[in-house]
Amino acid sequence: MSDVDLTFVDQTVRKGGTGPERVLEILQAIQGHFGYLPKEALERVCELTEITPASIAGVSSFYNQFRHRPAGRHIIHVCVGTACHVKGADQIYDAFRRHLGIPDGEDTDAERLFTVEEIACLGCCTLAPAAQIGEVTYGHLTPDSVATVLSDFLKYEQARSRDLKQRHKRHGRGADGRGEIRIGLGSCCVARGSGKLHGALQQALAETGIEVPVKRVGCVGMCHQTPLLEMVLPDGKSYLYARVDPEDAKAILMRHFRTKGLRRLVNSASRVIDNILTNGNAEPVTRYSINVREPAVADFLGNQVHIATEFCGEIDPVDLDEYLRNDGFKALQHCLKEMSPEDIIAQIEHSGLRGRGGAGYPTHLKWTAVRDASSGKKYLVCNGDEGDPGAFMDRMLMESYPYRIIEGMAIAAHSVGADEGVLYIRAEYPLAIKRVSEAIDKCRERGLLGDNLFGTGFALHLRIAAGAGAFVCGEETALLASIEGRRGMPRLRPPYPAETGLWKRPTLINNVETYAAVPWIIRHGAEAFAKLGTSTSKGTKVFALAGKIARGGLIEVPMGISMRQIVNDIGGGIAGGLRFKAVQVGGPSGGCIPAQLAHVPVDYETLTDVGAMMGSGGLVVLDESDCMVEIARYFLEFTQNQSCGRCTFCRIGTRRMLDILERLCGGEGKRADIDELEHLAQMTRRASLCGLGKTAPNPVLSTIKYFRDEYEAHIEKRCPAGKCTALIKYLVTDDCIGCTICAQHCPADAIEAVLYEKHEIDAVKCIRCGTCKSVCPADAVKVE
Amino acid sequence: MPKLIIDNREVAVDNGATILDAAKKLGIEIPTMCFLSGQSPSTSCMICVVKVEGVDNLLPACGAVAKDGMRVETCSDEVREARRTALELQLSDHVGDCMGPCQVTCPAHMNIPLMIRQIAGGELGDAIATVKSDIALPAVLGRICPAPCEKPCRRSAFDEPVSICLLKRYVADIDIESAKPYLPSRKASQGKTVAIIGAGPAGLAAAYYLQQEGLDCTIFDDREEPGGMLRYGVPVDELSREVLDKEIACVARLGAVFKCGTRVGDQVSLDDLQKDFDAVFVATGQSSIDDLNRLGIEATQKGIAVDAQTYQTKLAGVFAGGDAVHQRRLTIRAVADGKEAAFSICQYLSGREATGVTKPFNSRMGKLMDGEVDKFVATVSGAPRIEPSQAGDGFTDEQARGEAARCLRCDCRKAGNCKLRSYAQEYGVRATRYKGDRRLFEQQLQHPDVIYEPGKCIDCGLCIKIAAESREELGLSFVGRGFDVRVAVPFDRSIADGLKLTAAKCVEACPTAALAFKDSATARSG
Repeated sequence: MSDVDLTFVDQTVRKGGTGPERVLEILQAIQGHFGYLPKEALERVCELTEITPASIAGVSSFYNQFRHRPAGRHIIHVCVGTACHVKGADQIYDAFRRHLGIPDGEDTDAERLFTVEEIACLGCCTLAPAAQIGEVTYGHLTPDSVATVLSDFLKYEQARSRDLKQRHKRHGRGADGRGEIRIGLGSCCVARGSGKLHGALQQALAETGIEVPVKRVGCVGMCHQTPLLEMVLPDGKSYLYARVDPEDAKAILMRHFRTKGLRRLVNSASRVIDNILTNGNAEPVTRYSINVREPAVADFLGNQVHIATEFCGEIDPVDLDEYLRNDGFKALQHCLKEMSPEDIIAQIEHSGLRGRGGAGYPTHLKWTAVRDASSGKKYLVCNGDEGDPGAFMDRMLMESYPYRIIEGMAIAAHSVGADEGVLYIRAEYPLAIKRVSEAIDKCRERGLLGDNLFGTGFALHLRIAAGAGAFVCGEETALLASIEGRRGMPRLRPPYPAETGLWKRPTLINNVETYAAVPWIIRHGAEAFAKLGTSTSKGTKVFALAGKIARGGLIEVPMGISMRQIVNDIGGGIAGGLRFKAVQVGGPSGGCIPAQLAHVPVDYETLTDVGAMMGSGGLVVLDESDCMVEIARYFLEFTQNQSCGRCTFCRIGTRRMLDILERLCGGEGKRADIDELEHLAQMTRRASLCGLGKTAPNPVLSTIKYFRDEYEAHIEKRCPAGKCTALIKYLVTDDCIGCTICAQHCPADAIEAVLYEKHEIDAVKCIRCGTCKSVCPADAVKVE
Repeated sequence: MPKLIIDNREVAVDNGATILDAAKKLGIEIPTMCFLSGQSPSTSCMICVVKVEGVDNLLPACGAVAKDGMRVETCSDEVREARRTALELQLSDHVGDCMGPCQVTCPAHMNIPLMIRQIAGGELGDAIATVKSDIALPAVLGRICPAPCEKPCRRSAFDEPVSICLLKRYVADIDIESAKPYLPSRKASQGKTVAIIGAGPAGLAAAYYLQQEGLDCTIFDDREEPGGMLRYGVPVDELSREVLDKEIACVARLGAVFKCGTRVGDQVSLDDLQKDFDAVFVATGQSSIDDLNRLGIEATQKGIAVDAQTYQTKLAGVFAGGDAVHQRRLTIRAVADGKEAAFSICQYLSGREATGVTKPFNSRMGKLMDGEVDKFVATVSGAPRIEPSQAGDGFTDEQARGEAARCLRCDCRKAGNCKLRSYAQEYGVRATRYKGDRRLFEQQLQHPDVIYEPGKCIDCGLCIKIAAESREELGLSFVGRGFDVRVAVPFDRSIADGLKLTAAKCVEACPTAALAFKDSATARSG
């Protein structure tokens, strides 16, 4: 009857069991195998398992990850996160579709080679606008670079399939006294080519016979400089190279390390190496070299305090020995052997640690509630469902410091009396899932997880549950529903998970960053942590700094630092010389802090007072070319789609707010719209069921509060920032030199190339993508 | 046992009881739509929100557990505003008309779709009751009404409107030609009297409804015979006087007294009538200012000044309607005025404030989009509009049934027992406050007894729970997320497959008409 081979389904079910909670895992396996969810396969699952048709239909249509129709061979995920959005993600998405000739209503090209999908956020905000094809991430895209990207990807694919056949041996590492080479392998670094760089280095080592261990390290945070390469010499001196091209790997290597026995290399005559050997200061290499004492780098790193990101850029994420050498698991051992759960919780209380997931609930209160809950089975959960578009802190922490998170969880589990835990990690973070799962395995092998840890009788079993693309699963009750194999729909609290959580048992849920701070607090003492920050917000906060900023990246700063310090000192101010307008804090739940309030200290209360929210820590910097009405529209588009759909205010209220915002951006706004919008926002805030709905109006309310004039301008059919395409047009000024570059790049053929004459833009054909303006060498395109 | 205070009254409840339970114990009614006793709370519709002191947000009473010392407000302005907004949001995404556009447009708001279904079902006795509950002179109007009801008929989007006026005439003709024409029951006499000035359509209609309420009407008219313009203005070939006489006879049979040849203002004054009767209804038809002034009533060029809602004039106890008020020269409008004025007069005479007929809440689907009319037509007769054999004739039985089968059934099957509609009425919502693109109209008809209209679903999930609880093989599920979430049968199967055991139970539980019986007693009684 069907041409779908169901043997795979049978095997999957046989391997993992037939419980109803396995639905997500099974669906992920089926999608992995078929590229989508064939109906026949789903029906088969219902036959073989306890999963009901209603459950599979509900779950498979709830999460973004799942497709119900076949996809092309490769899926292009165009990131539409905040940072990408403000840098023109819409145009990138359109450009891919246009280039592949995909008609409206379809998502796959005629050859069925590529499927184009939008994805909420790849968490590569510093590369914005970004897209992911298969496992490869491309950053800093422009509408007219998509063709190059596609051909590069196809080339890469060919090469990869060749490589798979003849993978070369890995070098040993770890031997001391020979120095080492450190290479950043966070997602951002990988996206910017550190994988290729790693390959090139390995090849160079093989060719030169140099024996230096190459060590991959977690995120350094300096995403704007990636890929980063650090040469640590035997004498301890270190040289940091930024934005390294794989072709130059060998040259850099040979600059610092001697080849074995002066062997003449077949290809040593390469131009670059000749350059290096004859002139140490030759451009191709030095242009990458940065010094940590260089002011820009010093500023970027100088104001930071590393707690959750301790040993940032120094340790190999999954090297357990190295973690242990750097005091890893000492805090846990100390807790198990020398501290009572009450002592630990008292320390946490004393430290002032508050939940880093957004709301800032005091951590010790949560722990106490779970500890005091009825005895018997208790669970602990790590919330790694970092869904805010524009945030990537948790991804970096999981990719770079998996052991620290595990240790934090173990200390928490001991404190509250849980012996089983789940790390819920969003599906968009495959590298995080891989690293954490590797770390769990290694801990288990070494007796750091499992039964009887450190001989104390304490047991902890951890596993990973992969999310499947639903922002609302960051809400704790939705997250629990998801782990239990249901649609991620939040429920009314109380009862809180501390009372009735996973499988109705008392459950501790903390965010990744919260757990990551725990070992440091235990090792350095609560005092040291409490010394940092403000009266109500202690310690540090990890932020993902992105948007219109000169130096974006992952930063960890003490609470109480001002937005302006973050933007100007750490981030180096606005890139491109425009004026700083606002910082969007906290993503779809947060708000926009205008430049005039950028002096306020970053802490939970202050941010809420100014109409924003700490959120999980995404900071997207906006400049004067960003339209605040459009930003509000962007977030409401996100939330109305991400709402679980349960309660009226969130399901329909967010949509109606979006409708009004779309009318405003489209120049069809009416006088009464602003009041109506505020009314609806207040109602949705006050009467929604869960945090998603309650905070969804924040982007609207904060932009109306600080940028009401922009809303009013839109009613008069003006977009002061020149962003809303329905309200603007592009014009060529008399400065045009007739170079035809704009015409060559215009994706819509709206400009006719007439050499040495002033060009004109056909307003009807023009899609307002801004390509002409960005490529014009004479700055002769203006927006009206 | 937690003790709490709701609307300033204390109540003690069992542990685990919700605020809704507690309110119920006090007899305080909190509106609910997604809640069904015996099912876990869905906390979805949010119409049950209440304010709890010290809690920033409003809480759904159906799910919030009552705690000792709570102070709850169930009907503050803020709470009512939130409920109104919840209803307005739901209605902004509601694809369906409560009433057919014909009924909305008919000045008398006759339940036309119901009449048509009764004709189609051969239930002519019920059909005449339906007609005459809003139109006192249907046989007359069946001949002379310009049928404004047919203009907005949704069938026009496919071919031509249903021939409503002739269907009504068909029902009325069969009735008045029968041995025992329909006579509505009359309540016991209230011992109060009403003088009606003018025996034209407005006056006759008022008498027809006032008599039913147990009020004793005397109709004054200066002409020899009752009927007003219907007798002295409409040509005989358009309206046979025999038909007119028969319908007037119905008014007389209800007990109205006719005083023809009596000109109020000459033989008897308005003052006298005000003294001798408990109320007066002025329905003198189109009259000059002079005539009206001579009568002793304030008038402008347009006619007598009345309150548009209650038909009250400035004189105590004096009401006015029909062409004497607005000169529209539309008989159906005059008949409607008579009925509505009668309602106000009843209120007035029972000692209450006259407020007039409350306009029923009506959700409107708006203009049909491309392809939508075909979905309607798929369920009914596709035949073209039937014309009577000869111009001026009425329908034969066969023609009437054939024409009735063309009705698209676009009114709501649960218009009379829809929670969304009744709360919308109660909270005075503006159905069109929030505008957005409307979803496409959709009907799923595969089930033998039950119809599913996703556009009317409020996503409360009760049917999903009921189906799961009864272990339906397929059941129902939420599909999708966010604004686009819908209730559907898994694997794109039909509603007949999804609800093999529990369809009736789901219809009962469904707070709107998303799930309804295709043809039920409730659907037919409107």
